[in-house]
Amino acid sequence: MSNKSLLKLSKRRDLIFTIVRSAAAIAIALLVAMLLIFVSADAGSVSAKLALTADALRQLLIGPLFKNSGAFSVKNFSDVLASMIPIMFTGLATCVMFSANQFNLGAEGGIMLGAFVSAMVAIYVPLPGVLLPVVAVLAAAASVAVMMLIPAVLKAKLGVSEMVNSLMLNYVVMYLIKYLMNSHLADKSKGQIMSYPFQPQSAIPQLIDNGSKLSWGFIIGLVFVVLTALFMYRTRWGYSIRMIGINQPFSMYSGMNVAGMVVLSQVLGGVLAGMGGGIEMLGRYTTFSWSALPGYGWTGITVAILAGNNPAFVPLAAFFMAYLDKGCSLMSTYCGVPSQLIDILQAVIFVFFAAEQFLSKYRQKLVVKAAQEELKQKAAAETAEGSVK
Amino acid sequence: MAEEYVVEMKGITKVYPNGIAANQNVDFSVRKGEIHALMGENGAGKSTLMKMLFGLEQPTSGEIRINGEKVNLSSPSVAISKGIGMVHQHFMLVPSLTVAENMVLGMVPKKSGLFIDFKKAVELTEEYSKKFNLYVDPNAKVMDIPVGMKQKVEILKALVRGAKILILDEPTAVLTTQETTELFKELINLKNQGYTLIFISHKLNEIMEITDRMTILRGGKSMGVHNTADVTPPEISRLMVGRDVVLKVQKEKAQPADEVLRVRDLEFVNEWGKKMLDKVSFSLRKGEILGIAGVEGNGQKELVDMLFHLNTPNAGTVTVNGESILGLSQRQIRSKGVSLVPEDRMIYGIAGAASIQENIISDRCGAKRLNKGPLFDMDAIREETDRLIRDYTVLCKSGAQRVDNLSGGNIQKVVVAREFSNDPCLIIADQPTRGIDVGATEFIRKKLVELSRAGVAVLLVSADLNEVMELSDSLIVMYGGHIAAYFEDTADLNDEIMGEYMLGLKQQTSEEVRRVCHE
Amino acid sequence: MFFNTDFFFSMLRITAPILFATLGAVVGEKAGVSNIGLDGIMMISALFGSLTTYWSGSWLVGLTVAVLIGILVALLMGFFAFNLKTDIILVGIAINMIGSGGTLFLVKVITDLTEGKAMASTTSLITRNLQIPSVQIPILRNIPILGDILSGHCLLTYLAFILVFLVWVLLYRTPLGLNIRSVGENPNAASSVGVSVLKIRYIAIAFGGAMSGFGGAFMSMYYAMGWSQDMVAGRGFIALAAQAMGGGEPFGSMLAALVFGFAQALGIKVSSKGIDSNLVSPIPYLVTILGLVVFAIVARQRVKRQHSAAALKKTAEKNSK
Repeated sequence: MSNKSLLKLSKRRDLIFTIVRSAAAIAIALLVAMLLIFVSADAGSVSAKLALTADALRQLLIGPLFKNSGAFSVKNFSDVLASMIPIMFTGLATCVMFSANQFNLGAEGGIMLGAFVSAMVAIYVPLPGVLLPVVAVLAAAASVAVMMLIPAVLKAKLGVSEMVNSLMLNYVVMYLIKYLMNSHLADKSKGQIMSYPFQPQSAIPQLIDNGSKLSWGFIIGLVFVVLTALFMYRTRWGYSIRMIGINQPFSMYSGMNVAGMVVLSQVLGGVLAGMGGGIEMLGRYTTFSWSALPGYGWTGITVAILAGNNPAFVPLAAFFMAYLDKGCSLMSTYCGVPSQLIDILQAVIFVFFAAEQFLSKYRQKLVVKAAQEELKQKAAAETAEGSVK
Repeated sequence: MAEEYVVEMKGITKVYPNGIAANQNVDFSVRKGEIHALMGENGAGKSTLMKMLFGLEQPTSGEIRINGEKVNLSSPSVAISKGIGMVHQHFMLVPSLTVAENMVLGMVPKKSGLFIDFKKAVELTEEYSKKFNLYVDPNAKVMDIPVGMKQKVEILKALVRGAKILILDEPTAVLTTQETTELFKELINLKNQGYTLIFISHKLNEIMEITDRMTILRGGKSMGVHNTADVTPPEISRLMVGRDVVLKVQKEKAQPADEVLRVRDLEFVNEWGKKMLDKVSFSLRKGEILGIAGVEGNGQKELVDMLFHLNTPNAGTVTVNGESILGLSQRQIRSKGVSLVPEDRMIYGIAGAASIQENIISDRCGAKRLNKGPLFDMDAIREETDRLIRDYTVLCKSGAQRVDNLSGGNIQKVVVAREFSNDPCLIIADQPTRGIDVGATEFIRKKLVELSRAGVAVLLVSADLNEVMELSDSLIVMYGGHIAAYFEDTADLNDEIMGEYMLGLKQQTSEEVRRVCHE
Repeated sequence: MFFNTDFFFSMLRITAPILFATLGAVVGEKAGVSNIGLDGIMMISALFGSLTTYWSGSWLVGLTVAVLIGILVALLMGFFAFNLKTDIILVGIAINMIGSGGTLFLVKVITDLTEGKAMASTTSLITRNLQIPSVQIPILRNIPILGDILSGHCLLTYLAFILVFLVWVLLYRTPLGLNIRSVGENPNAASSVGVSVLKIRYIAIAFGGAMSGFGGAFMSMYYAMGWSQDMVAGRGFIALAAQAMGGGEPFGSMLAALVFGFAQALGIKVSSKGIDSNLVSPIPYLVTILGLVVFAIVARQRVKRQHSAAALKKTAEKNSK
């Protein structure tokens, strides 16, 4: 057996293990979901409760694809794709930062800041046609990059925890935006706090005009998945970022600029989160009215963990999360199960994916089995050789 | 003759899961009330043997008897209950706690059922301190006391837990001369009170001074038991550092040319105030292999750290081809053509979770030949990796395999392939063949000779006497942070002479040593 | 007068929940357990505390449940972190997800079942008579100024400040505290003398859970009337910063927590003068960042000074010989 095919075998083994493990984590999450739905089901008898649970699960699992009538639902599906947009960006941002072992949790504040800055550009900067959304998104990216410089430089220069600082910055950003909106920027003619409308040319065009808000931002998101994957796996900077994440002394000894990469990874995370905010804002809204952190940053962390910090898997992970999210909101519409169930499911899937020892015994078995087979084959090959001689 | 053995280890063999046999059929017996030396070079198997006696490891075969009773030492707590105590080289103390608190950790005296009885802890410490004449300050925090006192705390900790047999793992390695003298007095005192001491060391003068008998290990095998009074230091040295197999490496005579590395008056004081490098000066020329021999802990590690900016010297200069490299980043040092095969390959040498390919390109990821514009040229990278895998006979499935799935020897080949292949003018090889198989060892040694004959300057730091004597054209022996001897030609050197300098029995004059500067 | 007795009174009140979580962080870090999920635990405990208070009609029952739930969640975190070897930071993130969104799910489901309609908060359930009571301290209350500042606080506010002392006693005067500190500082040394590192870490994380339980109960059963979404607003994270700035010591961390209390009280005061509260709300978070930076710089210089001092001492000794 050639070395190449052995490698393939071990890769297939890893893949099988990953799939089994992911399936187990998802199954546990669904079990938890079922239990919670069952308990919360608004019915008297157990059988009625079971029926309600089944109905809710149907909504959760296949609602995003099919209407209640059973026909394929373009609208539901495009809703899922549309809600992938922001979490793809925060997921990518988190991938880059976590790859460098930088636990920066600022994608949450970053996406809000990006959304706000792009909204301001869309309202106040007089630019023609395509130029306006491009400038708005770039401005968003730049502003969040600057925001991330704070925890990044403090970490690189002083060793201050980027985690606590980025968390604190999330709150600072949120309150400052709320302040600016309340005191200076709100359209006073409206009943609630919202900005003046964006200039029409700022809108990112829609891919499908069915109200899903599935904009070209989705395509841009996929492009950035490719770009980020290329950056992380095909450029010297991305490579250095990954290496400092794996073994920092090794990277230093090899001649990499460790402090520089600590900063670069977080600034890039900022660029991606900021773009996500800008694209989400211009692709979905016509005024800025966010009054709280949107939660996309946290979902982005889940996406990154599910994707194993590999940008290439971000669309899949984002699709999964968006699908679950849509399922939960359908469940809440049709079955009265509160949509925040998603947060609990997310947490359950998250910890099981991140748990190193989860099913590690199973992996051990796979490896041992493979090693034994390898030995057997080697022995067989040797006897074959011997008989030839 | 009714000799009373308190420890009897018979036919002990220990094979680690990676196949290395650290002990082979070793017999080790200690009489009651003696100070017994366990001697040997690094890697001779002393630590493994003692770990088994303290229950940290279990022998593959062989039996252990304590006071004549056959025992199964499955964990340190079993060993402690059998009256065995160990003073580790790296102290097992909690720095922010007081001496008394460290003493009673895990067996805290209480008052009113809830609180620590500090008074009792202090009294207990003082009681033992007085009884064994080991002075410690019970109320001082461990982080504030000198190393010598920390060691006493460790000894007392073992005694207070009922130890009758004490294993001391290189107890003097961290001590000053005065502290060592004091320790010896205390050890003799313990001996006189009927305690048995096992003293691990490779410092000859100490062994001669304090021990009754000795067991010498070499390459995992016992070289016999001797009464200290009956052997002379040169004999011990021969038993300890002799070479079993002499691997002959073919090499032509060196044609040293221009000076590449120039080190002058390098000094380094470590964070505990101990002088680790004392005015070290030498020059290394193109096309020569300069070996640095010495028992570990005599400044070799610190020297390498200085040369690659893993630490900063207190004084001195280092130049490569006439340019100073002190204070430069590793990238700048590498750009001057300096390569390092690091001593600790798992920390500095590789990124375990990355592929072989990614480990090969770590020092050259910015090189033009591997990049096409902003992107990597993956074909070029694959080609370079595959070529190096071939040239260095790295046994692997492909360049995409994770490097930590390889055997130790193949991991080291990956490190060496990287460090040797980026057109270096100076290679610092720090213990380049430690802990790897014979095949890989031979390969790496041949490669080093080949490169030096092609005009590379090689600084070979090795605790393996065989290696350093065979490979080097000329050789430095380090002892106590300074150069004890310089040998311009290694051809007529023998183990005996080396041993005497390595163990500090002899020292060349400063004029003799100064010859290594080639001025 | 700007800094009047009311100001200092509210500063203590605001500090209390942060102080609880800070003490949890102090004990955790001493054992080498970095629990960033304190914020989420506070949210969960706040919710169940307020609900059980309403059902039982007794704040004491509610408080007990809040603390027990806190311990339970912390133990669960410990299981994932210590037994399943999940990065403890990620476990903390997961708990915070449940704390922010999951609690809203729970409150809707539970109130739907028990009250007949899904509620998004429990503010309508907790009435003034269900609040954790405040107490006037005899004698002290009659002292001018001091009485106004120190008397009349919630029971839990007093408990928080008393706990600072108790945590100090725990850490520095009991065998358990000795074990906790050893495990955090040198687990090998601890296990070499038979101290179970795993057990001590579980105890430390459970203590953090209990403290977060108190903090959460304070938020929903005294500070605010009832639970509402994101009401803890990062106090658990501020506690982490207070722990770091206080050098990990109970009294030092209390001082740091008081700084945050001061900043927030100042914010409230300023906003009552007509300045947008959104402008002053970020002050505690900014103070946290600044505090961490100052702490890092000071710590760095201290290390430098110690090194040079040690070196000087060594040379002096040599010269004297």
